[in-house]
Amino acid sequence: MILAVLFANSEGNILVERFNGVPAEERLHWRSFLVKLGAENLRGAKNEELLVACHKSVYIVYTVLGDVSIYVVGKDEYDELALSEVIFVITSAVKDACGKPPTERLFLDKYGKICLCLDEIVWKGCLENTDKERIKRLIRLKPPVDF
Amino acid sequence: MAQPFVKKDDDDEEAEYSPFLGIEKGAVLQEARVFNDPQLDPRRCSQVITKLLYLLNQGETFTKVEATEVFFAVTKLFQSRDIGLRRMVYLMIKELSPCADEVIIVTSSLMKDMNSKTDMYRANAIRVLCRITDGTLLTQIERYLKQAIVDKNPVVASAALVSGIHILQTNPEIVKRWSNEVQEAVQSRAALVQFHALALLHQIRQNDRLAVSKLVTSLTRGSVRSPLAQCLLIRYTSQVIHESASNSQTGERPFFDYLESCLRHKAEMVILEAARAITELNGVTSRELTPAITVLQLFLSSSKPVLRFAAIRTLNKVAMTHPMAVTNCNIDMESLISDQNRSIATLAITTLLKTGNESSVDRLMKQITNFMSDIADEFKIVVVEAIRSLCLKFPLKYRSLMNFLSNILREEGGFEYKKAIIDSIVILIRDIPEAKESGLLHLCEFIEDCEFTYLSTQILHFLGIEGPKTSDPSKYIRYIYNRVHLENATVRASAVSTMAKFGAKVESLKPRIFVLLRRCLLDSDDEVRDRATLYLNTLGGHGSEVETDENMNEFLFGSLEVPLVNLETSLKNYEPSDESFDINSVPKEIKSQPLAEKKAPGKKPATGLAAPPSGPATTVDAYERLLSSIAEFSSFGKLFKSSAPVELTEAGTEYTVNVVKHIFDRHVVFQYNCTNTIPEVLLENVAVIVDSSDAEEFSEVASKPLPSLPYDSPGQTFVAFEKPDGVTAIGKFSNILKFIVKEVDPSTGEAEEDGVEDEYQLEDLEVVAADYILKVGVSNFRNAWESMGADYERVDEYGLGPRENLTEAVNAVINLLGMQPCEGTEVVPSNSRSHSCLLSGVYIGNVKVLVRLSFGIDGQRDVAMKLAVRSEDESVSDAIHEIVASG
Repeated sequence: MILAVLFANSEGNILVERFNGVPAEERLHWRSFLVKLGAENLRGAKNEELLVACHKSVYIVYTVLGDVSIYVVGKDEYDELALSEVIFVITSAVKDACGKPPTERLFLDKYGKICLCLDEIVWKGCLENTDKERIKRLIRLKPPVDF
Repeated sequence: MAQPFVKKDDDDEEAEYSPFLGIEKGAVLQEARVFNDPQLDPRRCSQVITKLLYLLNQGETFTKVEATEVFFAVTKLFQSRDIGLRRMVYLMIKELSPCADEVIIVTSSLMKDMNSKTDMYRANAIRVLCRITDGTLLTQIERYLKQAIVDKNPVVASAALVSGIHILQTNPEIVKRWSNEVQEAVQSRAALVQFHALALLHQIRQNDRLAVSKLVTSLTRGSVRSPLAQCLLIRYTSQVIHESASNSQTGERPFFDYLESCLRHKAEMVILEAARAITELNGVTSRELTPAITVLQLFLSSSKPVLRFAAIRTLNKVAMTHPMAVTNCNIDMESLISDQNRSIATLAITTLLKTGNESSVDRLMKQITNFMSDIADEFKIVVVEAIRSLCLKFPLKYRSLMNFLSNILREEGGFEYKKAIIDSIVILIRDIPEAKESGLLHLCEFIEDCEFTYLSTQILHFLGIEGPKTSDPSKYIRYIYNRVHLENATVRASAVSTMAKFGAKVESLKPRIFVLLRRCLLDSDDEVRDRATLYLNTLGGHGSEVETDENMNEFLFGSLEVPLVNLETSLKNYEPSDESFDINSVPKEIKSQPLAEKKAPGKKPATGLAAPPSGPATTVDAYERLLSSIAEFSSFGKLFKSSAPVELTEAGTEYTVNVVKHIFDRHVVFQYNCTNTIPEVLLENVAVIVDSSDAEEFSEVASKPLPSLPYDSPGQTFVAFEKPDGVTAIGKFSNILKFIVKEVDPSTGEAEEDGVEDEYQLEDLEVVAADYILKVGVSNFRNAWESMGADYERVDEYGLGPRENLTEAVNAVINLLGMQPCEGTEVVPSNSRSHSCLLSGVYIGNVKVLVRLSFGIDGQRDVAMKLAVRSEDESVSDAIHEIVASG
């Protein structure tokens, strides 16, 4: 299960936050935990350089893309390797939607498109689509080309 | 489709204000009225939806009325033919997750989309419908979903399959009917469809071992395209191997060739998964491990942090059981100590600490010292714990390791970190006699400047026990007495107790201790003064009558015989009455048990994830209260032991039953925890009919049926047996669940009046010798063994016959005796030819028992065992030998 996908700006403010199977009362805790993790480790990280951590049986893979930091949290079959796959799809979709690693402003400008991409990638905790070209078509309700 | 709000060139970034600057819920809800316009403006509508999404993603919530209003407005947008807007509408409906009575508004639109010629309408409509629908609607659309699973468009098929994975949680019986279609989808040429289909098929069949085994057999032969699906298959395969291993005799391990072939897969993810699966095989041999370790070693120098992390995490686990197998990677791991990613560095260090040899310790410590300053406390704790085990492994190296611990103790750090260091020093002092004096001085120096009351009192207590036994006890007094001047009341009281202990043990110090204790009589705190007075009297400092040495020692040094957690719960449950609190009524068992009322957890897939540790035991108390509240059992006396629940049904059956065995001196009570998993029926008059013809010494004395067992609300029924006093009677019991079954009307939830009698065969249950022994550990086995004395020692040798390895033999004896392994001796280093294991427990009748086991294995894998027992009662020592001889 992919427990959370979270986007934050460089100051740690949340831009997008999607939880699956995390009780409402634990979300705030997760949010601050992730933001703190990013603040401690993402400084100086290169674009799309993956960082990884685990906490008990939960895995966290996170990275920075332009002004935005991206966190993905998973457990069970979504271990660090599967999550790195997920975050790879997310970063490429975001880059694609924005045309480059986004500034915060650009990210917000493309907010609707990014939400649609996320909807195609992670659905209620499962990885659904992994190909950015396909995702690009799907958010415009165009069928994939490769079948 | 979604358009940016302010059309600007991407390069023009001077205007850094957010398009959502000053966004406000009320205003956006007002804007949402554009959805009702007769002439829809798709672009504007998309913008408003984006704003709504932004609000929701920021954690903003809508009230019921607001959500309903927005939802109804959004449904109007189905009139628009703009596909970008339609895509947004799908997302918005999912986000709003409308309640059941509202859903009806959109179902017809969605059903229409689901049958649309446009593939993408179909895929999205399926996802939305499955998100918002309930069981009744599901049966209406089931036909379409089944078609969609085998749709030639992979997006439609995936949408249906992933929906299936979610619906399985709420309506499993519906999804189980899709097996054939899902099976077909597993063969799909589209990688992701295969991945989703495999996940769903496994979930549908997970309770059917044979089916999972067949699935694995067929797929491991064929070609699985997606690396993600391949990873799933590896997991399922290792699960099958794990389950079949216990049945099969020695010989080739099934599916090992498949796992090994995956090590040569082109996707890194698959290679790592396979390597991990191999390292987690039960009783894995070095020959099997080698290829896996080799690929993991290559990943250690990968440029991708995730691969390095995954590899080192796996090696770290292997190092716990097979440290020798990992030593080849030592050089690669040493270079990871300076890894940018601190998680990787910490894992590398802790692994090295496990695999390192005696000669490399000093070099390693030097590297770690540099590393410690720039990691967070949580990582430091892991390192400290690893250093502790290293020191126990190489006691000769205690000097440099102890120095390291004392150095880091002086640095900045939080409570948990400091506590981990203190705990480590205390353990080293206990286990390595040479380390005692230097360790105690380090602790003394620490309390001179310690901000944590808890740690100060813990150290003072420990000083009181160990300090008087050193060559020069007087040198510690200064540190202890300083506390009386400088600290808060809790620490001062603790210091007073510690001084008293020195006074009691060291005759030459006594007069000087009296002087110090008398000064404490004027302390501002009640507790400190009370303690000083008490100890002065006990030790004779007031010229009063002195207690005998034995009484005094018992009073000052004696330990509570009950676990503190149990004492705390018992005290909390105690209600003030004429009867005073009796410490003997506190249960002594410390073993933690899962709550009997909880549903039995499903079998965990072999994912290799560490399960979170279970909480402390409180169930013993709960059981005791439950049993004493039942009139039939109230005369049975004190409960000696309650077993962990034993499953009497397979997982996933219509009724699940497990049993807890409660042992009393002359009685045994079986508590059957029953759960009815069928919503359409109500069970009444539920009882278990027990046939005890294979348990001659038991005779049934009482049975307490359960009046009613509704769906999904567990209940208990009991059967009690009498057995001869003082005899550890054993036997086998067969069980049949008997009940009256009544159908329940799903619409009203009411049961029909007439029911039918029915019965349900349960698995057999055994009462074994281990049920009469409590798992009670001792902190220092050697001390306990010596103080028990050799009066009732019984020693004998046994041949255990051929065994797979020593671990199997050790576990078999531990399970047979049901005693608590001490000091980690239940873990057998891999490939050892001999092993010693220490066990402790309390035999029925409250008799302490200690056991020393020495195992040896020869070339033919024949295991011999020497068993030495000491106990407080001759007959108990003999009984332990009888258990082993007859087991």
